[in-house]
Amino acid sequence: MKKIFLIITAFLLVHISFSQKRYYTKTGAISIEAGTALEDIDAINNSTTSVLDVATGQYEFAMLVNGFEFKRALMQEHFNENYMESDKYPKSVFKGKITNINEVNFNKNGTYRVVVKGTLEMHGVKKEIQTPGIIKINDQDISATADFILVLDDYQIAIPGLVKDKISKTAKIKVTCNYSVLK
Amino acid sequence: MKKQWKILLVLLMIVLAAAGYGLYLFNAKPADVRTIEADYSLSATNLMDDFNKDEAAANLKYLNKVISVKGKVSDIKLEQSTGQATIILDSGDPIASITCSFYADEAGSVKQIKEGEEIVVKGKCTGKLTDIILNKCSIEK
Repeated sequence: MKKIFLIITAFLLVHISFSQKRYYTKTGAISIEAGTALEDIDAINNSTTSVLDVATGQYEFAMLVNGFEFKRALMQEHFNENYMESDKYPKSVFKGKITNINEVNFNKNGTYRVVVKGTLEMHGVKKEIQTPGIIKINDQDISATADFILVLDDYQIAIPGLVKDKISKTAKIKVTCNYSVLK
Repeated sequence: MKKQWKILLVLLMIVLAAAGYGLYLFNAKPADVRTIEADYSLSATNLMDDFNKDEAAANLKYLNKVISVKGKVSDIKLEQSTGQATIILDSGDPIASITCSFYADEAGSVKQIKEGEEIVVKGKCTGKLTDIILNKCSIEK
């Protein structure tokens, strides 16, 4: 009996210490740019969920592929139906770590350069990625930004010959998240 | 001779019309959700129940449809840099809510809303992550 009580207490303690050091957002912005000189193709998703664990550097993102909004209706349709197949693969998830989290002092205002490494799952394909990013701390406001490039072929996204001059073989990804403390 | 010209003229008109229609399709902007009548009107709780009961069936029913959702505002987010406004509606589910992402030019009307208020939001359902997410939202009342 005593043992069970001890285990429960220990579990609660761990849980509390973890929950106090997490930041989250439900309104992260992720934009993609995959146009060429012939055609501008860009889209934005303003409802990306992200959680950052300050203690371990554990960092996660999740988004609905169908939540990307384009300026042209037909592009949005092709993006969902032909390229990303969002009915088959509705979510994209990144699970990873800030590898140099110990260099970020969350109690001190400033701009910190970080390295994020982990697995991105997109279009049913899991792949290791790594990117530099920036964490800005301004009192209670914590924001994170990153820019990186993905090769469409890595995620088995095939561009048909007819439009291959208009769609880039790579996509420029821009991440902007403003975090709140997870209560 | 005259008849041949006529045929040619008609053909040319057809080609032009087709090209015009193609260009129109290519450049067509996504529909303005604010001008579309909602396919479904329901409470945030009922919407969450539908997704929790059977997500696949709920996706078939609601995905990319315009819906009006009534619920209590539990949080309001305004991104300083972009002006992007988001309202979180309470759904009765302790871990999942309705995230309503607004049109960029709707930030003004979102600023009038207060936490705890009961409102109706119209938007396009994009599916369920943890939250059910509506894009292109505007406030109905």
